[in-house]
Amino acid sequence: MEVKRCVTCGSNLVGTNYVAFPCPSCGETIYRCKRCRKLANPYTCENCGFTGP
Amino acid sequence: MMVKDRDEVKSDETYEYLISPDEYLAAGVHIGTQVKTGDMRKFIYKVRPDGLYVLDIRQLDERLRIAGKFLSRFEPSKILVVSARQYGQKPAMMFAKITGAEYRVGRFIPGTLTNPMLRDYTEPDVVLVTDPAIDSQAVQEATDVGIPVVALCDSNNSASNVDLIIPTNNKGRKALALVYWLLTREVLRNRGITDFPYSVSDFEAEI
Repeated sequence: MEVKRCVTCGSNLVGTNYVAFPCPSCGETIYRCKRCRKLANPYTCENCGFTGP
Repeated sequence: MMVKDRDEVKSDETYEYLISPDEYLAAGVHIGTQVKTGDMRKFIYKVRPDGLYVLDIRQLDERLRIAGKFLSRFEPSKILVVSARQYGQKPAMMFAKITGAEYRVGRFIPGTLTNPMLRDYTEPDVVLVTDPAIDSQAVQEATDVGIPVVALCDSNNSASNVDLIIPTNNKGRKALALVYWLLTREVLRNRGITDFPYSVSDFEAEI
């Protein structure tokens, strides 16, 4: 089974404490953990380099 | 255009805007507030002598393109537009009607995204909010159910629990109309629909 990791902090994602969405720029799936979302930590798409939020 | 306004846009001859920078300035999408948050620092171009922060319209333009592309990846009926702010209600409704999205304007009933027993209950795949501070109930519920949030953020907003920021003035009547109009046009363009017979005035709320 593929292990889901937060693209910002690299933590393992289990249950419902994360959000997954297509990269706004290229469509590759981005995973963000609840903590990084709450702290508004920036994420970078590993495929295209788009930086959000 | 006034000389004062011309100072409020970065000069870049090579970049092609969705509409002319003059139209952005006329609608006042670049006018921020007198408060700046760390999350919004990178979208701020400069501070005026009167203390108002000025947003970078180039970044707004880029983000509108990206947000249009992002929202067009979702099924139209799975997009939820939320606006508790008075001046954002008509633009949000117009966006929803034209793109086929759902909308909740005015008071966001708690449980709309989390309580299946409610009449208003819905299960969207993405939420678009007009102001994350005012529409905080929608942002919180989207976080609880694990769906992404796109937000129109002013210089005083926090990016907490937001997945895509559109940096704009989210308080002005004309600014909200222009931003929603451009976003609607971009979403339709990305779906391959070029016919767009609406003007910005169709999106403007009445005074």
